[in-house]
Amino acid sequence: MHDSSSTVIARGVKVEGDFTSQGNVVIEGEVRGQVKTDALLTVGNEAKLKADVTASEAVVAGIVEGNLTVKKRLELKATAKITGDIACETIVVEAGAALNGKVSIGTAPKDAQAKASVQTSAASAPSAA
Amino acid sequence: MRQGSYAFIYDDLVSDKKYERELAAIESRLAFLDIQGRVSRMALFRSAKELVQSMATSGVQTVVVVGNDLSLDKVMWFLPEMGVTVGYIPLAGPSEVASLLGIPVGAAACDVLGARLIETVDMGRIDDRYFLTEVSFSDANAQVDIEGRYRISSTGKGTISVRNLGRTLLDDAKESNIQDGQLEVVVTPEAEKAKRGKAVEPVPETRILARSVQIIAPNPIQIRVDDHALQGSHFSVDIQPSALRLITGRRRRLPTTDPLLQSNVKRYTFPAATRDPRSFR
Repeated sequence: MHDSSSTVIARGVKVEGDFTSQGNVVIEGEVRGQVKTDALLTVGNEAKLKADVTASEAVVAGIVEGNLTVKKRLELKATAKITGDIACETIVVEAGAALNGKVSIGTAPKDAQAKASVQTSAASAPSAA
Repeated sequence: MRQGSYAFIYDDLVSDKKYERELAAIESRLAFLDIQGRVSRMALFRSAKELVQSMATSGVQTVVVVGNDLSLDKVMWFLPEMGVTVGYIPLAGPSEVASLLGIPVGAAACDVLGARLIETVDMGRIDDRYFLTEVSFSDANAQVDIEGRYRISSTGKGTISVRNLGRTLLDDAKESNIQDGQLEVVVTPEAEKAKRGKAVEPVPETRILARSVQIIAPNPIQIRVDDHALQGSHFSVDIQPSALRLITGRRRRLPTTDPLLQSNVKRYTFPAATRDPRSFR
């Protein structure tokens, strides 16, 4: 599950605005606006985000409508549904994850130069980069 | 001899006959520990604030409240302004505040006073009133604005608490830190009803740390602050770090899973709107 020091947005809770945290964040509820954390972001399989997301690391199993910028590793679980662009250092995509947007892998978020750019729609093959 | 530095505030419930024996035990234990001081009684038409003010100006350094959690609530909203150290002798259980502060119920609490382990703790403040434990409400239409950056609300039934000291008594619940200079916003969803033959999965709490929050509702709502109720549609809540010197028990320093603590902790449902808050002034 999650450790006791994490900020938790549990099921049944809605957040509107710019949600910023310096520690780990676990989201199981709804968020509209922006999500930023300097640590690990975990988006649970019941979570719905209409937000631009910035994190150091992220594991996504829910729905994200917005751009995902991850400094290090992004993991998309089989139940993940992403509508938006992704920029990350490395990515792991489980079979079944749905992705609609531009993916830039191997780039630091501040680095505009993309080493790899993939246009995908409803990706379903397991892959790791 | 410690005379002069202590003063005791007896709540009016202390005069109830059923507490006679316990009160006698407390007074004899205090005498044994050589803890003495002036005794004043709270009464319906006597201002508790003026009572403590007169104690502080006469040189009292430690004010001890004798009663229950409601008695403590009657004085807690202004105590940080008085510059005194606060002690608490809970006359009868269950006492949620006493268990959070590691203070045993009854005459055993006198030993905590005698040990004089003093912690400087944060106090929450709602508008112009201080609170020790938490502010909570259950209105689904109300929102909590966190430091002006974002708002949270509950999409279903549940309770939102803005907590300085306290915990939800779940097996793995973590107690809010009373010395971290932060409030903890906790959203506790209503427990799902058990379906035939199926175990109910516990719904996790939402926990967010903040220094100041606003509670905003479209219509006036009732909120509980410590042990009293307030009504309104907009409340400003913030934290006042290191605002109060409090005498606490050694049990407070034990982990919440310690069997010694668990034996004293019982789920206590606070009565809503038990008093008119204006009567405290």
